Amino acid sequence: MTDLMLRIAGEEVYLLAERALWWPNASTLVVADLHWGKASTFRAVGIPIPIGTTSDDLARLDSALTRTGARRMVVLGDLFHAKAGRVASHTLAELRRWRSLAAPVEILLVRGNHDRHSGDPPSDLRINCVNAPAFVPPFVFRHEPADRGDGYGLAGHVHPGITLMGRGLQRETLPCFVIGPLGALIPAFGSFTGLGLVEPGPGDRAFVVVEGEVLEVSLPVDLGPNAYPAELHEVSHAESRGSGLDHGVEH
Amino acid sequence: MTDAEDVSHKPKRRGSALAVDLRRARAAQRRAERAAGAAAALPSRAEPSPTIVCDDRDPIDCVREWFASEGWEPFEFQEEVWRAYLAGESGLIHAATGTGKTYAAWIGPVLEWMQDYPAAQRSSRAARSLGHAPPLRVLWVTPLRALAADTEAALRAPIQDLGLPWTVESRTGDTAPRVRARQSRRLPTALITTPESLSLLLTWADTPSLFENLDLVVVDEWHELMSSKRGVQTELALARLRRWRPNLRTWGLSATLGNLETARDTLLGMTAQGFERAGRIIRGLVPKALTVDSLIPETMERFPWSGQIGLRLLPEVIAAIEEGRTSLVFTNTRATAELWFQALLSARPDWAGVIALHHGSLDRDTREWVEDGIRDGRLRCVVCTSTLDLGVDFTPVDRVLQVGSPKAVGRLIQRAGRSGHQPGAVSRLTCVPTNALELVDVAAARDALGRSAIESRPPVERPLDLLAQHAVTVAVGGGFRPAELRDEVRTTRAYRDLSDGEWNWVMDFITRGGSALGAYPEYNKVVERDGLYVARDRMVAMRHRMSIGTIVSEAAMKVRFVRGRTIGTVEENFIARLRSGDVFTFAGRTLKFVRVRDMTAWVRSSNETTSVVPHWTGARLALSPELAAAVRGKLDQARQGVFEGPEMEAVRPILELQARWSTVPAADELLIERVQTREGHHLFFYPIEGRLVHEGLAALFAYRLAQLGPITFTLAANDYGFELLSPEGVRLEEALEDGLVSPDHLLHDIPASLNAAELARRQFREIARVAGLIFQGYPGNNKSVKQVQASSGLLYDVFARYDPENLLLFQAHREVLEKQLERSRLGRTLERLAAGRITIKAVERPTPLAFALLVDRAREQVSSERFLDRVRRLVAPLERAAGNGNARIARGGGRGFR
Repeated sequence: MTDLMLRIAGEEVYLLAERALWWPNASTLVVADLHWGKASTFRAVGIPIPIGTTSDDLARLDSALTRTGARRMVVLGDLFHAKAGRVASHTLAELRRWRSLAAPVEILLVRGNHDRHSGDPPSDLRINCVNAPAFVPPFVFRHEPADRGDGYGLAGHVHPGITLMGRGLQRETLPCFVIGPLGALIPAFGSFTGLGLVEPGPGDRAFVVVEGEVLEVSLPVDLGPNAYPAELHEVSHAESRGSGLDHGVEH
Repeated sequence: MTDAEDVSHKPKRRGSALAVDLRRARAAQRRAERAAGAAAALPSRAEPSPTIVCDDRDPIDCVREWFASEGWEPFEFQEEVWRAYLAGESGLIHAATGTGKTYAAWIGPVLEWMQDYPAAQRSSRAARSLGHAPPLRVLWVTPLRALAADTEAALRAPIQDLGLPWTVESRTGDTAPRVRARQSRRLPTALITTPESLSLLLTWADTPSLFENLDLVVVDEWHELMSSKRGVQTELALARLRRWRPNLRTWGLSATLGNLETARDTLLGMTAQGFERAGRIIRGLVPKALTVDSLIPETMERFPWSGQIGLRLLPEVIAAIEEGRTSLVFTNTRATAELWFQALLSARPDWAGVIALHHGSLDRDTREWVEDGIRDGRLRCVVCTSTLDLGVDFTPVDRVLQVGSPKAVGRLIQRAGRSGHQPGAVSRLTCVPTNALELVDVAAARDALGRSAIESRPPVERPLDLLAQHAVTVAVGGGFRPAELRDEVRTTRAYRDLSDGEWNWVMDFITRGGSALGAYPEYNKVVERDGLYVARDRMVAMRHRMSIGTIVSEAAMKVRFVRGRTIGTVEENFIARLRSGDVFTFAGRTLKFVRVRDMTAWVRSSNETTSVVPHWTGARLALSPELAAAVRGKLDQARQGVFEGPEMEAVRPILELQARWSTVPAADELLIERVQTREGHHLFFYPIEGRLVHEGLAALFAYRLAQLGPITFTLAANDYGFELLSPEGVRLEEALEDGLVSPDHLLHDIPASLNAAELARRQFREIARVAGLIFQGYPGNNKSVKQVQASSGLLYDVFARYDPENLLLFQAHREVLEKQLERSRLGRTLERLAAGRITIKAVERPTPLAFALLVDRAREQVSSERFLDRVRRLVAPLERAAGNGNARIARGGGRGFR
């Protein structure tokens, strides 16, 4: 794993290849959009999705927690995908096992749109829940990005992804961090989540996560003739469109 | 196989083309009725009296009398089909659209019923009003909902006039719920439906009893269905119906194809013993005289590139439209149709209201209005795409123009056949080239037409996604025993070679998700109850009914006026690039984009002018094998100095320049040109086999060349050849000796040469939809399903990672190889090339044939330079080298087409 250190809002942070942000001064690991139980929600309605996504996500979470030794973890919303009651016992059992074995970390969930529908996690998972925004100066933790001038915002929700052009007409879309002057976007942590293409603005820096490495992308990226403008995320619902754009995302 | 060849040379009918006028009249009547019905609160459907009194006469005499009353006489081939039907036979009828195939298939069961039920028992009106019309006897499957209404009117006409107590109704996605509910209790005597609605009927447990008296299934436009998954869906439904009704007869109506026997065998399926079922092939009317000509620009550039001629032939096209009464202008893409419509309208503002636009993205009401306008001769010209290739007969059409190469002989015949339905008329199609080389295509198409070299349509083999869908359909519709369903499915041609392993995988997939060991927890769709496999619960059944079918809806967005109606749909991709206030052309109007909300693009009318036209990412057409072979023949002639006809005469300067700088390839010759420019080292190959094959070959050759040493290529392909561009020179001779064009090791080299995984990921979109991984949602209720929607790309990634043995992934790879890369055609092409000779020409600069490829590659590159400027920059030095100093060669003769 190759991580990347940078300084935002006067604080030293690390962008981790696990798709998490590490804030050593507060011993806090920041993740977004885990969408726990998404695969089992699909299976429950008769859409066959193989198992393995949850285990993989938990292993990756363990890796980030172990490597950093974080005492606290902040989830920027969308911890559970759908109504807790519908999350299958199979998945819940796995989560309980993980919670009992994993590092004794304090978990704070800043509720997102999915959490409002699915309700708070069962108490034995020992997860504190608050509504956005949560202030931990100099940062403001929220689910949906917003610029309220109330601090440096860290947000999820958009599952940021960026399309890079390769040789010939090859293109690949990768999850990314977007670090702006006033706030940052954290990639979605869950492996069964799509990507929403973002178009970093002036002053933004973008870092893609690829094969265990975090790499800065030189901006502006030429998104090519078929790219989505960022402001249309609200309309890009799940099943996506045409060639090269198969990265539907659901927020 | 009986072909009724002798009869059609002497058509005896007096009136116009057979079904045409009648359909028109009935459709108009139906619309009038509908309008009247809407006005009256309780529409009392006037029951027309029979016009033919049959009494105890031989039914065939009554039918002949009915034909006579319409001003016709039955064609010999029609009577042949009736006799075959009455003898219990099945088969395929092939002929161009609008030549009486409908009544060839329809009258047989009518005669049979009249024989079985003598006049005394046929108390028509009373029986019908009491709901005692005979139960379902004939099922009529049509690929287009839009055709259902016209077919209904055509079928009903003789029934009413002969006073039969039959009912004829449609059941499609457009049918009102009230009617559908009535039909699910009792079906009409003849039911017109689509493959999807037929599959839906199979999900109702009491369907077998509704089909108890079914004698005949007619599948209309079978050529259109058979090479798609919808065709396989039809095959599966037919297998089910044959199980309920072992003596069921099946007749297909088809355009003429290169593989009619396969078409018939696919329709009729296999016996339980695995033999093909016997069946007839009956040829309808031989096509009327068919003329193909071209509009030829007065001046011709010697360096052709696609799109070059653009709208320059507009005056000639207008002149042609003025000559005719009603014209159809076919284009190969919707965007081209929009452009030409705009151009026509701005050149002839006085034509507003009498010219129209028709393509698949327009609102259905608009399309119907246009179709009616053609039928009653109100419209002078319609610019259209393949949406008007099928079905609906348009008698007034007397002129058909085709913008761009027709790309296939069958398409040319089909489109030409839209005209010339007036008595004594011929079908005529005029090609409007968009670049000079397309004139060669036209000349070649005329040759191929003379030889009747018509394309084949390959049926789809063993799609497991569809089998999974069908198994759930049957589970929902009352359940099945696996061995029985497996055997039934094997009686379709598509699944005749289905292995036990594949079948077991499908069973696992619908019951457990993965295999026995890797079962997916919480998942099951189909469960076993006492040996019978049924749907888990009503929820599963309901969801399944909503997702039956194989059509992948494009990610299209409705376009709607801020205050007013829906205009049509445009790809979301295009809308996504618009900013509020942007102006674009759609449905022949200039629109200003306002915003996107609720999956709808809201627009206002605008007076600004714009050239922005939405593009739709449909598959680009490529030259068919038959037409490609004919093009090679034409070039071979040109090489020998033979330039037949105005088209070849017009491209003569181009080909002569090609011969001077390089050579014009012979039919058995693979020409390779190598040239060095500032861009690098170019290799141009000209197999002349169509763009799709060339794309595959380009990747394959690049891969094989790269085996000799590290090298990077940029690829470009068109219908005539392909280009490999590299920064360093290539050891071509060495590669040729090593088997560059060898057909060996294809199975290994193709996947290795392409980004096969990425292609398969895209192909997975359709598979995910058919196999039920993507829930399309309930009508009008987008929100509640959001939590169980994922993009097919994401699903592909998850399967590839967590269930890599999933057969749907293999299917995606197979479909990429077969469908997208045309592996078998690629193999045949390599065999042809390896058997022929190879000529390598080192040329100083790109030749005319190479130029088109250079331009196509330039088009793909992202650049801020205007495309036209870049082309000009490319062409200038070449023209200087070619002499004359003049960019164009003036052509003698008057203006206009020749």
